[in-house]
Amino acid sequence: MAAETARKFEALEAQAQKIMQVFIKAGHEAVSPAILQPAGVFLDVIGESLRARTYVFTDPDGDELCLRPDLTVPTCRLHIERNGDAPAKARYCYNGTAFRFQPVGAGSAHPREFRQSGIENIGFPERERTDAQTVATIIDAMRAAGLKNFKLRIGDLGLFRALIKAIDMPDRWRQMLTHLFWRPHAFRAELQRLSRPAEESLKSIPPDLRAAIAPTDLARSERAVVDYLSSNGIEAMGTRSVTEVASNLMWRLADAKSDPLPPETVALIERYLAISGPAKAAGACFKDLLRDRGSAMSPVIDAYHRRLQLMTEMGVDVVHAEFSAEFGRQLEYYTGFVFEIVAPELGRESPLAGGGRYDDLMRTVGGKRDVPAVGGAIHTERLLSVVQGGAA
Amino acid sequence: MTEKLLLAVPSKGRLMEQTIEMFAKAGLTLRKTGNERGYRGEIAGLDTVEVAFISASEIAWYLKTGRAHMGVTGEDLIREQISDADERVTFLKPLGFGHADVVVAVPDYWIDVRTMAELDEIAATFRREHGRWFRVATKYINTTRRFFAAKGVIDYRIIESLGATEGAPAAGTADLIVDITSTGATLAANGLRILDDGVILKSEANLIASKVANWSPGARQAENEIMQALGL
Repeated sequence: MAAETARKFEALEAQAQKIMQVFIKAGHEAVSPAILQPAGVFLDVIGESLRARTYVFTDPDGDELCLRPDLTVPTCRLHIERNGDAPAKARYCYNGTAFRFQPVGAGSAHPREFRQSGIENIGFPERERTDAQTVATIIDAMRAAGLKNFKLRIGDLGLFRALIKAIDMPDRWRQMLTHLFWRPHAFRAELQRLSRPAEESLKSIPPDLRAAIAPTDLARSERAVVDYLSSNGIEAMGTRSVTEVASNLMWRLADAKSDPLPPETVALIERYLAISGPAKAAGACFKDLLRDRGSAMSPVIDAYHRRLQLMTEMGVDVVHAEFSAEFGRQLEYYTGFVFEIVAPELGRESPLAGGGRYDDLMRTVGGKRDVPAVGGAIHTERLLSVVQGGAA
Repeated sequence: MTEKLLLAVPSKGRLMEQTIEMFAKAGLTLRKTGNERGYRGEIAGLDTVEVAFISASEIAWYLKTGRAHMGVTGEDLIREQISDADERVTFLKPLGFGHADVVVAVPDYWIDVRTMAELDEIAATFRREHGRWFRVATKYINTTRRFFAAKGVIDYRIIESLGATEGAPAAGTADLIVDITSTGATLAANGLRILDDGVILKSEANLIASKVANWSPGARQAENEIMQALGL
């Protein structure tokens, strides 16, 4: 992309002022976190699709740095820098540049340098209320900038987590499915695998080794691994310990002994993931679907409805909001509620704003504990192009 | 701009010899002009063609940017260096030499990991035990990302390696590697094993045309003459 014109620069500045005024009036403190960030922290939390699009480089000291691909992680780091691990509540807002590599021909709605205006609410335990406030504030700010016609899309990863928890299966399978949730393709493959007798998955283990592994006796299994290595002339090397190799083999044998997931469980998970449509109707939909899963599901379903109710009270048009169970699968650090604002002019591929809850993130970026947190950010170039009614 | 067609060919080693042989068989004699160590050359009798002898990895860049109209280099290097390869170049002909597979190889010691899916399975545990994702040493950064993403493996870090990649796991700088191999002997000597579904690309030298070069009528005609000689 060529340099922006002075006119566009001024228009973006003016728009940013209107947005920031709304944020500040809603009680957010304006901050300006560092543009250069340590690469390691980012690369671990942002997920592969964004990771491949981050500008990473080595500085003269040999440290790996990156140009921030978003402002949420830098804001969390700033919060930790200020407060250490002391429990602290804070509402932040920012307007700053983020950088993402774009393939050739990505179009003007996908510039590689763009300004994000956003808010982060860190440390507030009333989750649904804070979720609703975040959406309402982002929408207020976009309205203040002149946006009229838009659609709210929402999702809720908490529902998926609760569903998996409510289904009877070995804990390791739960971890696996949650871990794979972000990759629909691999998720489906794993779900199919867990629904078949697991004998097949053991085929790749050499039979003599398999016979020597004791599914419940770690010391014996370690000896089996060591014996197998020495009789095949294989040397141990690298970071993984014999214990890790042996434990992994034991788990896989244990898996093979568990009953496969029954077809109705697989169907339940697939039916849940297929839910999409108007937000209120969707709420009724999973109430129906999950009713016989008992009480475990009711707190999250109640939370879903309470959040919708709070959003309505805060002036968000919930009637036309759209829910999708699959929504959120691209955004690895989110843990609960997620949302996006789309405009008909740009479509779903280029949302004008988005955000969500990320209760694990503070620990991943260096905090000592999980902290409830939710935020959202506006893609300001897209917003401007829609408000101005022309091409970006 | 000159009206001539620029043909980029490898400047050293077996790859250069085999390229010159391949053209010679088609009746086209590649030779250097001026200094024997120089990098300019010509095809005898085809004065609309200029030949550049450059390193195989630079050839990809010449084709990507359109500085060269045609070139001979490995498919692995093209796929690695040009993210939108099929938009920018045309693979005219695999040449039957310069064979090399780009593969994912893990320590043979990982007797519990034989497939990409099994690799993914140990990712979370690895992180819990060692406080970091496992590291993949490679010079094929883009190729690795694409392949791992396609296989659904995302919990890893790439360590850029510019030489002796196969030694990285033993040296402790990485846990596994993505590298080229032709016989697998070097991998085995370093205690490494290719995953069952770990062959990313079976590469060989190709004759390649740039789609983004300035294809003047003169260059087009020179291309036709080369293609005809090669029986394409």
